[in-house]
Amino acid sequence: MSEGMLCSKTHEYILEQEDDKGKYIIGLTDYAVEQLGDIVFVELPDVGSSFGKNEAFATVESVKAASEIYMPISGTITEINESIIESPELLNEDPLGNAWLVKVESSADESEFKDLLDYSDYKEEVVG
Amino acid sequence: MVKQTILHDKHVELGAKMVDFAGWHMPVQYTSIIEEHKNVRENIGLFDVSHMGEVIVEGNDALKFLNKIVPQNISKLTDGKAVYCQLTNKFGGVIDDLIIYKIIDNKYLVIVNASRIDEDINWFSLNAVNFDVEIRNESHNYSLIAVQGPKAVKLMEKMGAGDLPSFFSIRQGNISGINLWISRTGYTGEDGVELLVKNKFASELWDKLLQNGKEFGIMPIGLGARDTLRLEAALHLYGNDLDEETTPVEAGLSWSVPKDKADDYNGKEVIMAQIANGVEKRLIGLKMIDRGIARHGYEVYYNNEAIGYITSGGVSPIRGDNIALAYIKNIPEIKIGTIIQVKIREKLYNAQVEKRPFVEKRNKG
Repeated sequence: MSEGMLCSKTHEYILEQEDDKGKYIIGLTDYAVEQLGDIVFVELPDVGSSFGKNEAFATVESVKAASEIYMPISGTITEINESIIESPELLNEDPLGNAWLVKVESSADESEFKDLLDYSDYKEEVVG
Repeated sequence: MVKQTILHDKHVELGAKMVDFAGWHMPVQYTSIIEEHKNVRENIGLFDVSHMGEVIVEGNDALKFLNKIVPQNISKLTDGKAVYCQLTNKFGGVIDDLIIYKIIDNKYLVIVNASRIDEDINWFSLNAVNFDVEIRNESHNYSLIAVQGPKAVKLMEKMGAGDLPSFFSIRQGNISGINLWISRTGYTGEDGVELLVKNKFASELWDKLLQNGKEFGIMPIGLGARDTLRLEAALHLYGNDLDEETTPVEAGLSWSVPKDKADDYNGKEVIMAQIANGVEKRLIGLKMIDRGIARHGYEVYYNNEAIGYITSGGVSPIRGDNIALAYIKNIPEIKIGTIIQVKIREKLYNAQVEKRPFVEKRNKG
């Protein structure tokens, strides 16, 4: 499931969509949702809106607190995951699979990928 | 230096997520806040609240002294009875909220918030001058374990606790061979007990409660669910909903301020004037109508004017909606049912003033 996944130090992942260069799925890592605990609210941006790298684009709230979610790379939102708005708890169950956050189209160049880590390196370096 | 309760290692063994709270390393959740919350409402939950403070007030002037420091009328307490009250300053502001138990004549137990032990003891001492009273902080000698939920009484029966004290009462007892104090109180809105036990028996008691409680579906409950439970029950949290700038009247706690108490107490003049003439700000309960969660510190609006702020807010796991407590300017036309707004991330979301508590209390046993 984590094949090809790149993760940010702020616990978002991107996954390039198969056969569709420049299109990515963005989600939260399993470590992130475990740390947040029960997720009870998700706010996602409008389709068509654009965000720069590291810009806050969504809000995820657990019972305890609201957390901003940041873009791992720049891009334009092409699709949002309506099912997690309806059922935020799905994020706790399947963050790396069905409970992705948004899909984006990106023309980010290599420089934006420099600080992203392979999932396994992320697990080792960031999660520890 | 972060402190640990006697049960600290039990929590770690149970897989709890630990956080620093009021200077203590405490479990915030074991499995899931929502699951733990529901289990207390439906079955039974076990809480380590040993971080709370226990103070013994003893001496010939104990009653006179207590009557001077809280608005409640302590003279009305009979042996074993308890009362919820506030420790007020000269201006009626709340230094802490507490439960005072009468043990016997001239001897009282006071349970105080962990975060306020030092301020409380300091204030007690300042006020004790000229009184024949001894104030002993016993917090380091005792552990406090809460057993809460509709099946709590059944568990106590099974463990041989005998007849339980009535609501807001305490007595000495013995559970599975362990001597302790049984208090019919809690912070969840459910029926249940709080067990005050010498530190050296706390681990044994905790294990026995978990073991015997299995058939009733017992779960250990962290501070996360403790907070959502008390919010549903609209019980104040010191530091959020109560502070030294807020009086019991403003906090909606006038029911705990007798109008006919003869004794003078700190802040009485301010408090009595507010009861007679009204207040500038007041506590309200609200539920979100629009999709959004009101949280501590968020602003409250009415007719496009900022009129106050949220002091506690979050999800109600039982109702499935979002609820909050807020202080607002005392505008008479705002009453139960009025639509107001909460500012969340720079946008206004509709909310409705609602009566407190948000769920039916079941602890009148």
